[in-house]
Amino acid sequence: MQCGNCSVVCSLAPENKPFPRKEMIWAGWGMKDKLIGNPDVWLCHQCGDCSTYCPRGVKPADILSAVREVSYQHYAKPKFLGKILSSPKWLPAAILIPVIIISAILYLAGTLQIPEGPVNYSKFFPHAWLNSSFTILWFLTIGLGVLGLRNFWNDMKKQNPELKITGSFFKNLFSNFKEIMQHSNFSKCSNQKSRKIAHVLVFYGFILLLIVTAFAIYAAVTHQYPLGLFNPFKVLGNVAAVMLFIGLTVMIIKRVTDKENYGNSSYADWLFLISMFLLTISGVIVETARFLNWSIAYHLYFFHLICVWFIIIYLPYTKFGHLLYRAVAMTFDKSVNRDYSKKNED
Amino acid sequence: MNKTQKPVLVIGGGISGVTTAVEIAEVGKEVILIEKEPYLGGNVVKFNNYFPKLCPPTCGLEINFRRIKQNPRINYFTSTEVLEIAGEKGNFKAKLKTAPQYIKNNCTACGKCAKVCPEERPNDFNYGFTKTKAAYLPHEMAFPYKYVIDDEFCKKEACNKCAEVCEYDAINLSAKEEIKELEVSSVVVATGWKNYDASKIDNLNYSSSKNIITNVEFERFIASNGVGENKLLRLSDNTEPKKIAFVQCAGSRDENHLPYCSAVCCSASLKHALTIQELYPKSEIKIFYIDLRVSGRNEDFLAKVQTNKNIELVKGKVGKITETENNNLILEAEDILSGKKIKYEAELAVLATGIVPSNINIKLNKDSNQFMTDAQTEGIIPVACSRKPMDVSTSLKDATGAALKAIQ
Repeated sequence: MQCGNCSVVCSLAPENKPFPRKEMIWAGWGMKDKLIGNPDVWLCHQCGDCSTYCPRGVKPADILSAVREVSYQHYAKPKFLGKILSSPKWLPAAILIPVIIISAILYLAGTLQIPEGPVNYSKFFPHAWLNSSFTILWFLTIGLGVLGLRNFWNDMKKQNPELKITGSFFKNLFSNFKEIMQHSNFSKCSNQKSRKIAHVLVFYGFILLLIVTAFAIYAAVTHQYPLGLFNPFKVLGNVAAVMLFIGLTVMIIKRVTDKENYGNSSYADWLFLISMFLLTISGVIVETARFLNWSIAYHLYFFHLICVWFIIIYLPYTKFGHLLYRAVAMTFDKSVNRDYSKKNED
Repeated sequence: MNKTQKPVLVIGGGISGVTTAVEIAEVGKEVILIEKEPYLGGNVVKFNNYFPKLCPPTCGLEINFRRIKQNPRINYFTSTEVLEIAGEKGNFKAKLKTAPQYIKNNCTACGKCAKVCPEERPNDFNYGFTKTKAAYLPHEMAFPYKYVIDDEFCKKEACNKCAEVCEYDAINLSAKEEIKELEVSSVVVATGWKNYDASKIDNLNYSSSKNIITNVEFERFIASNGVGENKLLRLSDNTEPKKIAFVQCAGSRDENHLPYCSAVCCSASLKHALTIQELYPKSEIKIFYIDLRVSGRNEDFLAKVQTNKNIELVKGKVGKITETENNNLILEAEDILSGKKIKYEAELAVLATGIVPSNINIKLNKDSNQFMTDAQTEGIIPVACSRKPMDVSTSLKDATGAALKAIQ
């Protein structure tokens, strides 16, 4: 931590106060507040260059990743949700919560039994119940996430009192939009090209599915649901599933086979990756089961719903939370003109 | 002591091997000194100057060569390698291979052979940056002072021009390699070092730019008998660079390359910086370092450098070098003291690559970094840089110790 090689080989580190050397020093000194209220740990896209080129075998990439993981729990609202996702010993509880929620909704809807006749999922989970509970949960999650983000934002301000915030939050947030959409930061990571492709597939796959879901809710309200196999939105949904499947498969394979470059993946990382993978697979199987009238279709559907609920309600507390925290950290940097700090000095 | 005692074999004719041999011979023992190059002097003879007094290498080596010449107890063989060592202390059998001696010892170094020689070869004395004829004198102060023919580039009897022109009948183009078997009492391994292969440090782009050179290459760039002949030139455009950067720990203290400190590179770069300042007082020099590890007498260099306004010491390891369109180099480091990234544009970058022990094809006990350990078969004595990185004066003290061990 006295040579600064890591900060130099990093393609994303800014000119002024680059990371990750300063984070390594804070970590060594146990300065948790500085680490957690620090936008830079989120600017890192985990390319692993710093670990690869470190002359002393220190693994800055792993440290930054660990700080991000601690951040999910630190800012978790309510706290217990962060906690049950922090360790495998709480996994049964973490699975039980969506199971109970779904069962309760089905009980209230009066459909907690396997329907007779050809497969029609709305007989099992009526559209009105499904769509309203899904929408409510989605916004509840975002709301809880925002509470955590607000604390994160205040911590960043507190830890960097010398920086002046300019411009409105939303304007700065949207100025990052292009960067996120193009994955331009990812392109700067020279170490692993496959990571960008995999992330693009998963990122856009997920966004497509959200759009398709929103349309499906609209279609259900206007009684056009389920969509036919060749409905453009149905096709789009299937394309998204394939994108997710390919992207996630690459991510999983790379993590297992290329430990050298990918570092050691954490529990939170695996939890998100595997739940997304199960979501994708079960989604495709459930769709197939409907068309082929499989007898276990409803059981599969129930499993698929658990996956959906698991991912949505735990969004701010697993690796999925990077979507929120990274966007906010990038916005903070824009707000304090960090990108331009060097120009100002020159 | 027993007068019929067998000679000591010293493998390696660099400054440590030469010193060991001379010291053994001067206490009355027989020595056989072998060297794989066609001349004695090893790495030191290629230097521009060396510690601690910044003498040119002629200074220390010349007197040793005279001691060798005058002492009948030293037998030396150049262009010779060891193939095999067997036996035990007091009774080793050594198998040696001498490359074909196309030019015999009665060569007067008149140079006529080189004049008529039609073939060229890269001059390894200048790390291939210049060329010589296939019949060549290794360098001005080569010892033995005689011409050599490069096997790889010479067309031998098919050409025969040099043999025709030689007035002393010193050329024999049909010479064959020779295998000798000797009985020796002990073996001193003075195989020394080479510098670390800088092309392995991919982020420093050594292979992709002519203007990134290593510290040992720099010695030949700055030496008056070297690449630029009294000028420091950079090769991309043959201009004299005025902004020069030194990259310390290029491969050393790095688990991806050499985990150890090579001990001499900091002092060497300080020496280089002062040499450039003498030649070009207006030049601007930056030395990027992790820690400046100069000890003992060499600390005086640091004191001198610190008072020189044109030499800046920057605490920060260079992590990236990129070449610009005009063949300048952008060096990137984090300035540890200010916490800011630096991008410095230099016209020439010198990588302070570390010391790696030279290979030897006989079986010896080595540590994890391929340096020889002290725990060898009794009677086999590693010395100087074959044991660990050290500077010339430390090596010479080590050589005296090895000489004493070898005659016990």
